[in-house]
Amino acid sequence: MTDFGKLIDKPAGWLCEPGEESEMVLSSRVRLARNLNGRPFTHIAPPDILEEISGSVAAALAAGDIMKEALMIEMEKITGAERMLLAERRLISNELVGNFKSRNLAVRPDEKLSVMVNEEDHLRLQSIESGLAMSSAFKAARELDDDLDKRLDFAFSDRLGYLTACTTNVGTGLRVSAMVHLPGLVHNNDIRQVIDGLRHVRLTVRGSYGEGSEVTGNFFQISNSITLGVSEEDTVANMESHVRKVLEFEKKARESLLREARTLLEDKIWRSYGILKSARLVSSKEAMSLISATRLGAGLGIITDVKIPVLNEILIMIQPMHLQRLYDREMSPEERDTVRADYIRSRIEIN
Amino acid sequence: MVCQFCKKREATIHFTNVIGNRIEKIHICTSCADEKGFDYLKKSNFEKGDLLAGLMNLAFQAGSPEAASRRCGGCGRTYADFKKTGKLGCSQCYEVFREELEQILTSVHGDTCHKGKVPGRQGSRIDLMKKIHDLQKELRTMIELEQYERAAEIRDEITCLKNTGGGGAGKEPPCPSGKEGSAELGGQA
Repeated sequence: MTDFGKLIDKPAGWLCEPGEESEMVLSSRVRLARNLNGRPFTHIAPPDILEEISGSVAAALAAGDIMKEALMIEMEKITGAERMLLAERRLISNELVGNFKSRNLAVRPDEKLSVMVNEEDHLRLQSIESGLAMSSAFKAARELDDDLDKRLDFAFSDRLGYLTACTTNVGTGLRVSAMVHLPGLVHNNDIRQVIDGLRHVRLTVRGSYGEGSEVTGNFFQISNSITLGVSEEDTVANMESHVRKVLEFEKKARESLLREARTLLEDKIWRSYGILKSARLVSSKEAMSLISATRLGAGLGIITDVKIPVLNEILIMIQPMHLQRLYDREMSPEERDTVRADYIRSRIEIN
Repeated sequence: MVCQFCKKREATIHFTNVIGNRIEKIHICTSCADEKGFDYLKKSNFEKGDLLAGLMNLAFQAGSPEAASRRCGGCGRTYADFKKTGKLGCSQCYEVFREELEQILTSVHGDTCHKGKVPGRQGSRIDLMKKIHDLQKELRTMIELEQYERAAEIRDEITCLKNTGGGGAGKEPPCPSGKEGSAELGGQA
């Protein structure tokens, strides 16, 4: 099996771990943007400079202990479909799917820690944890950053902090985000107010698929937008307290749904689970909404025979490229709807 | 559905890009996706750049034509290039376009000075101390010359540098640009 296969043909390590508040939080992520001093930023750097940068970063990673076991994947050496697979896995950005010359990914086998090389910034350190765990995700990214700092000369100004290609990341270069599942607030119609509240405190709320994506399955991504003038520790603490507040609202919404419309809610949950267990054709969008309702049921203890980590895994595996990889062939959307339904049924059964 | 690029093979990859208020749907087959290297993604990134640049234009109303054509010695890019793409060319750009960027940074972050990690590079802190020392000397001179405006600028810069230095940051007053208090999340009863 190739390195790539070893990585991609099993679910991400973090996905299977039980996390804090996992019935409402899928994952916590931290990203640090860094550039090498004295080199043009990626978008205007000529090919030889990009090569030189990826060489220096690879050497720095190899010299430290933290990424010793990491796989090094050169975007040029894999196919477009494989790059899309990594993007579905959130290991690389869409940017890297399209711009792949001298772009690399270093990723630890558990996928908790990775580095994108020559993305918008020369280095994008990424750390991910299951559930609500922004502090530990930050700690892991910080450790890698400290380690790389010994070997690489990062572009830094005393006044502006870490210098990045885009002014929106300058300063700490830190983006902290949490992927949250908020079906209660969506059902209660309070979600709008919560999103407005988060925007008011300058946090960004997006659909589950990152930048410019639609909201499906009641999954939202909350992240900080300010990187200048606020320390890393304060950014993480701020995010954590605001996300906890949102979770409190979600808990209340779920409680009130149970109190005021228990039968209706149970009916929706059981029907969704029923379809998930027996459908022969299911589109991506329908699957998301069925999983969302089932996930809510599992979180409320209404459904006990399927656990949340399994549903999280299904969410990743039912994406187009993952299905094609799993069944080892290119498929039309209709065919994919069939295998998607097959996969979900079998995954729930072996649970 | 047929691939919108080769118009022959079946489209197996479907993407929805939301750019501003516009939704762009892409249906493409794996072969074309491989071959094209997803050019359309670049396109949407460019448009995102446009959007950002549009916002920045607002912040740049006071800019002169001279400023727009000034060139960075490090990468050769002009401020106009930055306005077009929303991206700077290299780290030196931040110094060269310092004045113009100040307004943008204020509107994006509500602040213009870093508070947080300083790389552990040897000498960095020493350089910082030296810089603060030099500025303090200049500050005294400016006060003697009654150049209060310049003196205020230098004072602010010293505050910034001290905050960056980590150590005594807690005791220092906040950055001159001022920050929002930690507002509580509103909404929802």
